[in-house]
Amino acid sequence: MIKVANLQKSFGSHKVLNGINVEVQPQEVVVVIGPSGSGKSTFLRCINLLETITDGHVLIEDIDITDKGSDINKVREEVGMVFQHFNLFPHKTVLENIMLAPRKVRGVPEQQARAKGMELLKKVGLEDKAEAYPDSLSGGQKQRVAIARALAMEPKIMLFDEPTSALDPEMVGEVLEVIKQLAREGMTMVVVTHEMGFAREVGDRVIFMDGGLVVEENKPDEIFENPQHERTKAFLSKVL
Amino acid sequence: MDFRFDIIIEYSPYLVKGTLLTIGLSLAGILIGTILGLFIGLGKIQRRKLLTWPFVWYITFFRGTPLFVQILLIHFGVIPMLIGETNGIVATIVALSLNAAAYIAEIFRAGIQSIDRGQMEAARSLGMTHVQAMRYVILPQAFKRMIPPLGNEFIVLIKESSLAAIVATPEIMYWGRAMAGQYYRVWEPYLTAAVIYLILTLSLSFLLNLLERRLKTE
Repeated sequence: MIKVANLQKSFGSHKVLNGINVEVQPQEVVVVIGPSGSGKSTFLRCINLLETITDGHVLIEDIDITDKGSDINKVREEVGMVFQHFNLFPHKTVLENIMLAPRKVRGVPEQQARAKGMELLKKVGLEDKAEAYPDSLSGGQKQRVAIARALAMEPKIMLFDEPTSALDPEMVGEVLEVIKQLAREGMTMVVVTHEMGFAREVGDRVIFMDGGLVVEENKPDEIFENPQHERTKAFLSKVL
Repeated sequence: MDFRFDIIIEYSPYLVKGTLLTIGLSLAGILIGTILGLFIGLGKIQRRKLLTWPFVWYITFFRGTPLFVQILLIHFGVIPMLIGETNGIVATIVALSLNAAAYIAEIFRAGIQSIDRGQMEAARSLGMTHVQAMRYVILPQAFKRMIPPLGNEFIVLIKESSLAAIVATPEIMYWGRAMAGQYYRVWEPYLTAAVIYLILTLSLSFLLNLLERRLKTE
């Protein structure tokens, strides 16, 4: 479903990604862990071309997004993204945040978009906040709205970029619960996170990145119980 | 010191006409200057650096030279070249609009760039085009932040329209100077003009405050 081949990314002369090769199967949940500065967020942002790609290829359902001729907007419609800092639209109500893209990008009629929006808000447990503005919500609530907003486009893939890193500890659970729910429903997901418990519980596969490379990837139990590389061991000994 | 209200009353029909013209000139300048300023501002922040140069130079020229000089150039040079004769009202509107556009372009640029990068990324990640993201996400937020500096610029524009008097555009100051010339008086004409300008600018700031409060989302 996602195929990343020899992905390289430089910011000026600083090389952040040194040739990443990853494949993600349909309905698979891939969790990316690693120290800060390892390039895991950059890797994720390359998957929907929020970063320009220096070299290599990224294929989403066999469409090569590094090819200048491919319509990146069409691809992004199928790839939802949730950000560390939520990035809700502060000038719109919660429901309007969710309805905006379906209305403007897909041309969904108002009534239908509204019904879908309310359904998604119910799913994330926030139907009573439909008319509220984002500024009045807690961090956990904001992130749940952001997930609902991404789901409104009915994406085939969801990308999560450290979705709980900006949250107060007591709000992490409610957001992870929503993501777990999605995993159970069979959503294909790539999740960058520092929540090791979550990685172990929800991930079908865990990728450990360091220095712009995939150092190790394996089933969660394997990687946490029996890491093969020194760098993986060093990292896990610090965070577990 | 005596204060001759009778000459103010004598001139009041002209001052009313002058005030209406000042309002007209200012509104035209605000409207055209804002539209032009938006395009120049967007032109200046586009990614292809080479294409930003005309916009950068436009702003440099109109911000870096006095409006007084611009009005004279446009009135005696540009307008006769285009339509074959001078026209004070057209020249004033053109000069005010072009001048305000340079400042408004910078206000737009600052407003747009003050919006967090994450807003554009979120919009684009949902499949919106750059234009859609600008139209529905960035500009509405930027506009709210631009109201105070825009209000400032509009107030400056109302006051600077008084420079039109030097090319015989019959707005407030034109009649003030006429009154001063006819009666050799200082206080009556210029204080009257000052009060009229004050009423105009105060009304505008009142309206802008109202708009700003209306757009609050908390």
